[in-house]
This record gives sequence, structure tokens and C-alpha cells, in this order.
Amino acid sequence: MKLFVISLFFIGLNLNAQTNLPDVSLTNLEGKKISLKNDFSEKDKLYVYSFWATWCTPCINELDEINDLQKTWKKEVNFDVIAVSIDDARTQKRVKPLTNGKEWEFTILLDSNQDLKRALTIVNVPYTIVVKNNTIVHVQNGYVPGNELELFEKLKSLK
Amino acid sequence: MKKSYSLLLLFLLPISVFSQVNGNFSGGFESNTQWYLNDKGLKDEFNNPTSRPDEPLRSNNYLFVNYNYKNWSAGIQGEAYEQNALLNLNPKYNGTNVATYFIQYKSEKIDVTAGYFYEQFGSGLLLRSWEDRALGINNALRGLRVIFKPTNFISIKSLYGQQRTGFDVADSKIYGADVEFDLKTLFKFQTSDLTLGFNYVGRDEKLDLPDQKFNNLTNAFGGRISFSHNTYYISSEVNYKAKDAVVQLNNQVNNRLVKPGTSILINTGYSKKGFGVDATFRRLENMSFFSERGAKGNDFNDKIMNFIPSLTKQQHYNLANIYVYQAQPSVFLAERELVKAGEIGGQIDIFYDIKKGTALGGKNGMKIAFNFSNWNALSGTFFVFNPQDYDTDFLGFGKRYYTDYNLEITKKWNNKWQSSFSFINQYYNKQLVEGTAGEINTNIVAAEATYKFTPTKSIRVVGEHMWADYDKKNWASTIIEFNANSKYSFYVTDLYNYGNDLEYQRNHYYNFGGAFRKKTTRIALSYGRQRGGLVCVGGVCRNVPESSGISLSLNTSF
Repeated sequence: MKLFVISLFFIGLNLNAQTNLPDVSLTNLEGKKISLKNDFSEKDKLYVYSFWATWCTPCINELDEINDLQKTWKKEVNFDVIAVSIDDARTQKRVKPLTNGKEWEFTILLDSNQDLKRALTIVNVPYTIVVKNNTIVHVQNGYVPGNELELFEKLKSLK
Repeated sequence: MKKSYSLLLLFLLPISVFSQVNGNFSGGFESNTQWYLNDKGLKDEFNNPTSRPDEPLRSNNYLFVNYNYKNWSAGIQGEAYEQNALLNLNPKYNGTNVATYFIQYKSEKIDVTAGYFYEQFGSGLLLRSWEDRALGINNALRGLRVIFKPTNFISIKSLYGQQRTGFDVADSKIYGADVEFDLKTLFKFQTSDLTLGFNYVGRDEKLDLPDQKFNNLTNAFGGRISFSHNTYYISSEVNYKAKDAVVQLNNQVNNRLVKPGTSILINTGYSKKGFGVDATFRRLENMSFFSERGAKGNDFNDKIMNFIPSLTKQQHYNLANIYVYQAQPSVFLAERELVKAGEIGGQIDIFYDIKKGTALGGKNGMKIAFNFSNWNALSGTFFVFNPQDYDTDFLGFGKRYYTDYNLEITKKWNNKWQSSFSFINQYYNKQLVEGTAGEINTNIVAAEATYKFTPTKSIRVVGEHMWADYDKKNWASTIIEFNANSKYSFYVTDLYNYGNDLEYQRNHYYNFGGAFRKKTTRIALSYGRQRGGLVCVGGVCRNVPESSGISLSLNTSF
């Protein structure tokens, strides 16, 4: 059994495949199911999925920054930000007043039991992925101030 | 074990077939390693130094591989706890083995999963299976789940399984069904949303008590409704758990007290651009639910079937996480002064954004968040002896468990400076919540500033102080974090219990370390001391002992 797990590990390391976005449906703040595959499918458009939680300060800092800058960025790049909250039942009710209070102009989705987070094997938030034509083309694990500028450079190079 | 090998084979077969075709592999790896050290300077309450455990080098490792082909996907997770799991994790996590696996078929109308799966009905008060590695929780169900969507406004889930515990499953059968109606779609509402949901959960655990006064199969039912109209919203959830043995201490299942359980949750709020308010009320009575009755009261969150988070603000400051409320769903009749049958209370959140260009808002605006929560025991009549019984008041507030007022103000001054200030006032009834002694009142102030030298080089400094009138009394804390660029970060933290009445216990809990990030990978290395007590994630807590040592963590995905 040990050998089996270890060999699994090496299979994992050698994989370098381009990953498709999992076919998962999440609910938006109005309780409507949104399919990642079908509802964010404009050809060649960049979709930035930013995983966050109401209790995660760096996540909120990152989204605050992007929120301030996205209007300017959108003049150069065709993209949308989807802020995926991984808040569970404890803090999920805080998502709607918080995002409205902050005037975030993003699509907000709820990953209530963390199905998408698990499918993408995300360990911690903040975690940001960029998706183009249903394929993950860029990943940023974590956030420090200034990462948003690198993200913008990346978006320009991917468009 | 034999059974799981054949299941495994079933799982591997499709993989080897599909691998020939054009599929899609993905996965991730996480490793948390700790090298525990002796620490003469770190004293416990009896003036003993901290000594390392017998196996000082311990590591928790998780590998998940997922394969996807058209409508099919399959996944497997291997876990290795080598030279044992990290301190105070469930001892059933031991050695290296296959932990979970599944195969799933998913189309527009139907979604079938065989193997291990995660599920939550409503807010999880009756059923939630999830994974939280930091807490050592993985209570996935092993069995079969079918989700069927006959039309675009009905979703029906049904499931059967046994719950994971360690590398094994619990000795009971879990049945569940959930149906959800989206009435907005059905009635074509324009500005309103309305959803309704109903669920059933059954736990069948065969017991053989003489003259057993309750059924082996415990049935539980729940209903929920959620409504929103323009900027207002309201939702409610009600659950009922049928009569069952009330277990008050680990492994003591008997006929002494047989009672049903109930829960009521109401949430409402209003929000528009720049302003949001949200209020929650919850009443719980005898709502702990385990896949094996006797598991109640275990220290490892083992075999929990439902999710009962404490509804308080999840604080991010170090000192605000010393006295953390833990939800009180259970019955405990110990003595006249220590009787519990559940909790009642609520919380309010207000978020306000002071606009740019106003006197207070300045050039970049200012953000304010206020939160208040209060939780009490249920009031009622309690009989501790011969025979044990209780009768609660529906809307009666008994002794107070916890209160928390807090205010947070965040201000971005310009492109280089950002700062925030918090004030937190807590009341924690340690005697009633933990069954020990004392009540604690705290006042905490915290200030935080971030300065950007260049767009990607920044420093963050946090200072905190807590005044506490009992237990370990006053604390001070600081964090200095330096982000050299987008790849490397370094930090130093210290929590100092300078106000402790016992001089030898005025410990410094220092930590320093660094992290490296590149694309999907993050590696962090640190050295320092771990404060003993509760470590909580999402309102669920785990008790950890004081320790000292070096820790290395790594996570990546592919």
C-alpha cells in the first residue's frame, strides 16, 4: 500500500498536463446555480478566479486592490474577476453585506462545502487562477502587496 | 481491508483504460512536518519544562490525484502520517495508506458518485461531510450519492454511506435525502428570489442495550427557506432530531436520558453599495450528532456528522484567538451550577464604506466593520439526579456563555501606506463553556500598518495588547512581516504573556520563519513555540499542547 501511494506521488510529479477547469456549479448571492463551464465561456476572454474568505485579510486586501484598478485594466484587457468565497456556514452570511459594503464590482460565487477548492487542490486562500477557454493558464498561490501588478502584466501577456 | 482493495481495483481499472485516450490529470500535494524539540524555557502551569514527544519528527502528508475524461472523473487521495501524526491529532491517522477514492459520472441532469464523497445539506446542522486537514477532520462518506435534476428548478439528492474515521469507516449506516426548489425560476420572479429545501438524515447504529429505550435508527428532518427582494434578504432553517440516547460523556451510551433535539436558525440582512447589515439568530437544543453515539465528547472531532460552528466573528488577531467561543449544542447535566442543554443567541454585523472625497473618507475612502455577538445557555428546569431530565424554555436566556463587541477601521492613506485599527471586548465564561473554572473579561486593541517600498516590496507591522482580568491575564503581541518581493517573505512574531500571575509562566511564544512561493507551490519554514490551547478553523476547534520546534510545510498542485 505504501508503495502504491509513493508511486502515485511520482506519477503526480511527472504530470504536467494543462488543466481544465472542473465542471462545477456554484451558487451566486441570489441563490442561483452558476456553471463555471457554461456561464464563463466567452472565447479568448480571461477569467480571473480569486479564492477568498471573509476572515482572510490578505484575500480582502488583494480584492480591494483589484477592485480599485480593474476599471483601468479593462481598457487594455478583456477580463472578468470571479471572487469565489470558500466561507462555510459559519461565516457565509457575512459575504453579501461585506462585498456590498466594500462596493466590489465582481461576480461573487459561494463554494459552500469547498467542492471547487478541493477539486483544484487548493490548500490555503488567497489563491488565484486565470482561465482562458476553460483551461487554467496561470496560478498564483498566496498574495503579498504588489502581486496585483504582476497579475496585470500576466493578463496582458495572456490576452 | 479486502473490500477496499477490490474497490480500489474498480477505481484503477477505468483510469488505466482512459489513460490511453485523451484525458486530463490534475492533483495536489501537501506536507506538514514538525520536528519537536525540548525547551527548558517554556514552562507549564506546574513549572515543568516542555519536552519533546517520543517520536520528535512527525509529518502529515496528503496526495490527491484526479483524472477527468468527458463526463467521467475519478480521484484518489493517499495520506502518510510518518513517524506518527502531528501532536494531538486523531491517533487513528497512522502510517501510509489510501484514504479516499471515488468515481463520478456527471451530466446536466444526473450526477452519480461512488466511493468517498463530501456533502452538506442546508447549512450543515444535520449533515456535513468535509475535510479540514489543520483540524484532522475528514468525515467523507463512503457509499453512493445520486443527484438528479429533472427540471431546472428542482434538485434531488440521495445518499447512502458509512463515515470515514482514520483509515477505516464508522460502524453505522448513514442515509440521506435532500430536495431543493428554486421558485424564482418556476414562477419567473423578476426582482425576488425564493428557494425551499427539505432534507432527511438517518443514522442506523446497531446497539444491544438491555431494555433499550430508543431506536437503533435515528431519524432527523430539516426544512429551509430563503427569500430575497431587491436589497433585503431573509432565510431560515429548522431541524428536528428524533428521540435518542443523550450521551454526555465519551463512550457512555445508556437509557438514562432519551430526548429529541431541535435547531432554529434565522438570518436576515440588508445591503446596498457601501453599506451592509446582517443579523443571525440561532437556538440549539441537544443537537450533537455522531455516526457512533459513543463518539460524543471525543477530543479529535472524530465521527461528527453535522457542522455546528460558533456564530461569532472569526478574528484574525493573535490575542483575539485566545478566548474563542465554541458552539454549545450538547446536553450536560453535571451539577446544579453546571447544566447545559444547548445555546441561544445571535450576532450582528455592520459594514460601512465612508466615501472617497468626504471629510473622513479622504482621497481613498475608509472602511468600517462592526460586529456584536452574544450567546447564552438555554433556561429551563433541570433535574441532575434520579431520574435525570430537563425541560427548556423556548425563548429563555439562561447563563451567559460569551459576548463579543468589536470594531475594525481600515484606511488606505495613499499608494504606499495602509493602516487598520481594531478594538475588541470579550466576555468568556470558561467554567460553563469548558466545564472548568472562571469567567474572563478582555479588552484588546490592535493596530496594523503596511508600507510599500516599491510596488512589490513591503513591510507589515502589527501590535496588539490584551487586558484580561482572570486566567492568564495580560498579553502583548507583535508581528513584523517583510515581503522582499513576490516570491520571498519573512516574519517574526512574539506573543508575550507578561501579566501571568505565575512568574515562571510569563512565556514568550516567539516564531520566525520565511516562505517561498512560485506559481502553484508554496514552501514555508519556521522555528518557534506553539501556544497551547485551542486551534480553531471555521468555528471548530482542536486542542493542541504547548510545543517548541521547527516546522516545514509545502503545498503544490499540478
